[in-house]
Amino acid sequence: MNWFSSTEQQQLLKTLERESEKLHFTERRHFLKNALVMAGSGALALHGGQALAGNQNLPPNVPQWTGKLGDGVLTNPYGQPSKYENQTIRRTVPWLTADAISSISMTPLHSLKGIITPNGLVFERYHAGVPTINPDEHRLIIHGLVDRPLIFTMDDLRRFPSVSEIKFLECPANGGMEWKGPQMEALQFTHGMISCCEWSGVRLSTLLDEAGVKPQGKWILAEGADGAAMARSIPIEKALDDTIVVYAQNGEALRPEQGYPLRLVNPGWEGNTSIKWLRRLEVGDKPWHMREETSKYTDLMPDGRAQQFSFVQECNSVITSPSPELPFKGGKGWYEIEGLAWSGRGKIKAVDISFDGGINWQQAPLKGLVLSKCLTRFSTMINWHGDPMLLQSRAVDETGYVQPTLKQLRAQRGGNSIYHKNAIHTWKVNANGSVQNVQLA
Amino acid sequence: MFNWRKVTGWLLLVLSTAAIAEQYNLGKPASEKVIAGWDIDVRPDGLGLPKGSGSVEEGEALYDQKCANCHGSFGEGEGRWPKLAGGEDTLRDERPEKTVGSYWPYASTLWDYIHRAMPFNAPQSLATDEVYAITAYVLNLNELVDGEFVLTQDNLATIEMPNKNGFYVDNRPDVANPRCMKNCKDPESIKVIATIAGITPTDHFKHDGNDGVAYQESAVGVTATPEVVKTYQNACKMCHDTGLNDAPKTGDVAAWQKRLNQGKPAIYNNALKGINGMPAKGGRTDLSDEMVKSIVDYMLELSE
Repeated sequence: MNWFSSTEQQQLLKTLERESEKLHFTERRHFLKNALVMAGSGALALHGGQALAGNQNLPPNVPQWTGKLGDGVLTNPYGQPSKYENQTIRRTVPWLTADAISSISMTPLHSLKGIITPNGLVFERYHAGVPTINPDEHRLIIHGLVDRPLIFTMDDLRRFPSVSEIKFLECPANGGMEWKGPQMEALQFTHGMISCCEWSGVRLSTLLDEAGVKPQGKWILAEGADGAAMARSIPIEKALDDTIVVYAQNGEALRPEQGYPLRLVNPGWEGNTSIKWLRRLEVGDKPWHMREETSKYTDLMPDGRAQQFSFVQECNSVITSPSPELPFKGGKGWYEIEGLAWSGRGKIKAVDISFDGGINWQQAPLKGLVLSKCLTRFSTMINWHGDPMLLQSRAVDETGYVQPTLKQLRAQRGGNSIYHKNAIHTWKVNANGSVQNVQLA
Repeated sequence: MFNWRKVTGWLLLVLSTAAIAEQYNLGKPASEKVIAGWDIDVRPDGLGLPKGSGSVEEGEALYDQKCANCHGSFGEGEGRWPKLAGGEDTLRDERPEKTVGSYWPYASTLWDYIHRAMPFNAPQSLATDEVYAITAYVLNLNELVDGEFVLTQDNLATIEMPNKNGFYVDNRPDVANPRCMKNCKDPESIKVIATIAGITPTDHFKHDGNDGVAYQESAVGVTATPEVVKTYQNACKMCHDTGLNDAPKTGDVAAWQKRLNQGKPAIYNNALKGINGMPAKGGRTDLSDEMVKSIVDYMLELSE
């Protein structure tokens, strides 16, 4: 329906704008935005109506894009997704944080296939916004309990032997809004604080060998060059095991949002330990008890004490299709049920799916690459007869750990630990094909 | 003439590169002076604290000026900004209040964090003694030191925080879920709890008008470039959206009209050189004069 002509629309907007001046600044913006959506939806409906009425692009007609030439090379020197994919974007829930500069956005898991997250869609978490760093002026210092304190340029770092590994990165607060009950109405918000990229850089152990860690060196402080000078203490065992000092993701230089020009990646560990915009590594004999490992990122238990240095992201999984964003749109018939599983302790061994809220389970095939500390795809086909379902997935990792129920987690940890909620997730599929986030008591 | 000794030497060199693969001699030695500028971390035992001091009294004045607008006059926290004081004995409650006094295990963390990251809109701008003073005042807000207290590099590590023993190292895996496949629970036992509707943005897939990202959008009719809007958000919004440090609020027509009466050049000049609580360019001296003026235009446009 198009209620207004374009002149009327403009007049309406003017009126709304005048009306809105009486409102508080933020309210005014909301008011105007909503007004735009209202007025805009009319135009959108008209547009859609024309396309449907003509059907000029559908067979047997020759589509308009076939009958003319398209753009040539270098129209977009750095390619962008199709304009029709403009809803495949990161999103946030505004009330989660006080300000967008110290906040989080989530990856649109429902829109993605395979295991690699495109660079522009990797979830964001900043404590003081994204710094704009000139790589020529960026340095990494390694000092503390080492034989040779060293300072590296980016060119220096690129001369070391490099590794490229596909690893997931997850915020420990992923799903953390749901400890006490279901709140988020979309997969992007229940599980979107996770991404998976191919990371390239130098093993931290290589750099530490270069500096020569003294025998009493047991912990490493990693620190960023951002306005939060974000810092975490990392045990030397991890640093010498699989930590990477990364300068590239998915083949290209790190994105500014992901720490350009240099970041740490601690595979399988909570994302905030993978310090972005990395400028300094100090070797010490004890942890530093930084703000982000005492006040934050500690897990409060029912007895009033808290778990500290809770690094590992335990085995987890979620069904990505169907999901609230991807309901069964086509009525009864065949659909692929697909999802993601991951474990910070190693490879995924198996994933089970339940259609009845966890009464019965069946194993779902894994597909594609099955790598350690990496997103892993599972899928199965179902012939849906229109019955409501309580869909769940349950992952098992190579250590034999089975993803727990929320009930089990709550019994152990209560409802105030914020972080590390890796419980089996439930989607309620309704008879009309719509999908809701629910929890089972 | 062919020199066998040179060839042998070359071969040895090639072999030796593989043999000493653990050291590449890349990078340069970092001097103590270079390290000192970046080595800002402080540990619970006081290691890393620079020489200095600050009193609760000095801290109060600084806190009121630089911290209170977000953290509240008494550390109670404005809006969703962190609460700093209170919350004693609430860690077992349904709604625990994790503050410096109720939760933080070490006073060193407070000093370190204020020094490295505060105030939020001007990180690492505080002088050493100012960090001591503000730390002292936040400890005083939590009734951990008295009003006469002076914090120094020597006494910080001796301050015992109430929740010092409230932490233990991660002991997960802490739950074991047997991998049952058939008849794992009684169907009658299943109770479905649904999501509270309307509190998360859903308009991108439900077209239900619930658009949680509206706050990021520019208002209708604004001619500012995205770069200007973005810079405003990063550099100015903090004070001018909230009225922090008595800044005129963006959108406050009366406040801006008063300033416009002195003429636009006067507003530009104030923005560039600073006025009252606002430092030159709002503390962002890296911004070009043109950018600052464009932001002023943008703010005026939003405040017409």
